[in-house]
Amino acid sequence: MSAAGLSAPPDSFALVWLVPALPLAGAAINLFVGKRLGRWAGWLASALLAGSFVISLAILSHLLGLTADSRLFVQHLFDWVTVGSFRAAADLRIDPLSVTMILVVTGVGTLIHVYAIGYMDGDPRYGRFFAYLNLFAFFMLVLVLAENYLLLYVGWEGVGLCSYLLIGFWFERKSAADAAKKAFITTRVGDTAMMVGLALIVVHVGTLDFSSVLGSDAGLTKGAATAISLLLFAGAIGKSAQVPLHVWLPDAMEGPTPVSALIHAATMVTAGVYLVVRSHALFELSGTALTVVLVIGLVTAIYAATAALAQDDIKRVLAYSTVSQLGYMFVAAGMRAYAAAMFMLVAHAFYKALLFLGAGSVIHGMHDEQDMKEMGGLRRRMPLTATVMIVGALSLAGVIPLAGYFAKDTILEIASTSGRTLVYVLGTAGALLSAAYIGRLIFLTFFGEERSEHARAAHESPAIMTTPLLVLAAGAAVGGVLATGVEGKLPTFLEPVVGVFAEGGAGLAKGALVAIALVVTATGLLVTWFLYGSGRVDWLAVRVRVAPLHRFLQRAWYVDDAYAAVVGTPAKAAAAFTAYVVDARVVDGAVNGVGILVRRLANAGRRVQTGFVRNYALAFLLGAVAILLYVGVRF
Amino acid sequence: MRTPIAYFLVVSGMLFAIGTVGVLVRRNALLIFMSIELQLNAVNLTLIAFSRMHNSLNGQVLAFFSMVVAAAEVVVGLAIIVSVYRRTASVNVDEARGLSG
Repeated sequence: MSAAGLSAPPDSFALVWLVPALPLAGAAINLFVGKRLGRWAGWLASALLAGSFVISLAILSHLLGLTADSRLFVQHLFDWVTVGSFRAAADLRIDPLSVTMILVVTGVGTLIHVYAIGYMDGDPRYGRFFAYLNLFAFFMLVLVLAENYLLLYVGWEGVGLCSYLLIGFWFERKSAADAAKKAFITTRVGDTAMMVGLALIVVHVGTLDFSSVLGSDAGLTKGAATAISLLLFAGAIGKSAQVPLHVWLPDAMEGPTPVSALIHAATMVTAGVYLVVRSHALFELSGTALTVVLVIGLVTAIYAATAALAQDDIKRVLAYSTVSQLGYMFVAAGMRAYAAAMFMLVAHAFYKALLFLGAGSVIHGMHDEQDMKEMGGLRRRMPLTATVMIVGALSLAGVIPLAGYFAKDTILEIASTSGRTLVYVLGTAGALLSAAYIGRLIFLTFFGEERSEHARAAHESPAIMTTPLLVLAAGAAVGGVLATGVEGKLPTFLEPVVGVFAEGGAGLAKGALVAIALVVTATGLLVTWFLYGSGRVDWLAVRVRVAPLHRFLQRAWYVDDAYAAVVGTPAKAAAAFTAYVVDARVVDGAVNGVGILVRRLANAGRRVQTGFVRNYALAFLLGAVAILLYVGVRF
Repeated sequence: MRTPIAYFLVVSGMLFAIGTVGVLVRRNALLIFMSIELQLNAVNLTLIAFSRMHNSLNGQVLAFFSMVVAAAEVVVGLAIIVSVYRRTASVNVDEARGLSG
């Protein structure tokens, strides 16, 4: 390590390797003896991840005790790849950004683990579930703690693998197995681009260490930086389910709900945001790449919000919501407001995990019914779940003073004050849609009349599931204390890594911004209350009247269908061609042809073998005569 | 004056040719066997003729070897022929095709 400021890590930093190691140990134990542990498997997994959380807290407190400029340590674990002049070591990086991420991963992760103890109770593959969950935590922690892109990539692919395993956890259902494959293959498109990006970094810089690549002396040209950052962002698009690779995330809801909360809301899908924020030096050097990030994020934020408006499956609403919210994070990153992106990431981890786990509690209470058309009035049967979900929903919708307000409002405020009026207007429109879809979810689920037998027979979930909900609800409510505007605690904490957001001075006044945000949120909530909560509108009849529009939104603008037509059909045709023509005819034909040829030759040859000794003797004689003639002629 | 070597070789060649033709055209195992003995003895004659010509005992010694081996071969060969005859009541080699593929 050559960069300045890297000295030998003090003691509590020396324990950082335990942060990923504990969940890895949990995964190994649960994988091999999980069946014998029974219900203890879940407790073990949760306890180990909680241990990681405690160590992360110790690291945080240690870090806070240092001056802002010296908050960077790299722990060398072992030399990993040493080929010629290329070196990549297994080094863990401790800085405000990675510590923020490990706190989210271990903190929210632990709560979700505990919740899963109750949610997965009675599942025949209980131990294996927690093994996968712990393995996921391990890879995610490697991803955010890595000090070079190669180790980050290991974590990146590892979480993809765990995502695949967990989406397809109930693989007996074909839809779950298909969704798992879809998620894996779709993200692979981005991952491949990302790998090319890493290769480009090696070509141009010669190393993959953050301290070298992201330092000022990396010597990258603007063009190279653009290519690299766009390729890295392609990876982020896949992992964070941005347009046009977003299609896997809604389907990923086939997985168990704790998986949706942990992987597909709070942690893995935010890896793309982390990657952009971590690599912001490259993106800024390019400039163009930042614009691309901003545009993709904005398009995704609005597009996914419209799709969320028309979903009936409670988890699919939240899935599209996640896609949309991730879009907001990229919008922030695209405006160089990295701290705002990170705060949104943290706040979103809380309220979206809360909403997912709440939805899981509803599904649990409704005996595995996920269709909101069958719900209604559940606040009477499940008061605790209803309360915490309303808190989460208000936070997401952006009601003062909940965490979601500060997250979204900061981004919109930055858009306005930095003079990006179009971004502000569109972002605000997206906020209106967000308030509308989440209001629709709440009113359809918890208010009005019960619309099915399941809804009338619903019951509150056990304490093991509701306790994590309460903790998350507290986070979703008061998380705003971490960042009020551009100068909160979290932005200050992250400043050594991501710098200060300096643009400003343009746009609307603070008061006007707050007023607009409130009006927008209130409008969204009130409209959905009128439609779905007041009982004065027959929303099913309205739906029939606008059927084409509803169908357009429900099928998410027919993007999936378009992909099926443009990519799926030709790919299937190509596969059929390969299987039934190239393989069956050409390859098999060549193999069989060789066999037939040999058999015919053998058939011709075996006639020589008459079985009559006399014939052999004659052959002897002729041979001997031929040799004698040859010898005679020669000498 | 000694008999020229060519005479021996001509006799030997004729004997060998008769033996060879016998092996090739005969079907009776015993006659094939006798033809083979004829070939062996043709060779023995050649060996001894050259031995005399070179005044060396090597050829004669080799002829003795050949006879001993031929005697051993007769024992084995006749035993096989007797055994085949017991099983098939025939010494026709064309009928002994039990091991043919």
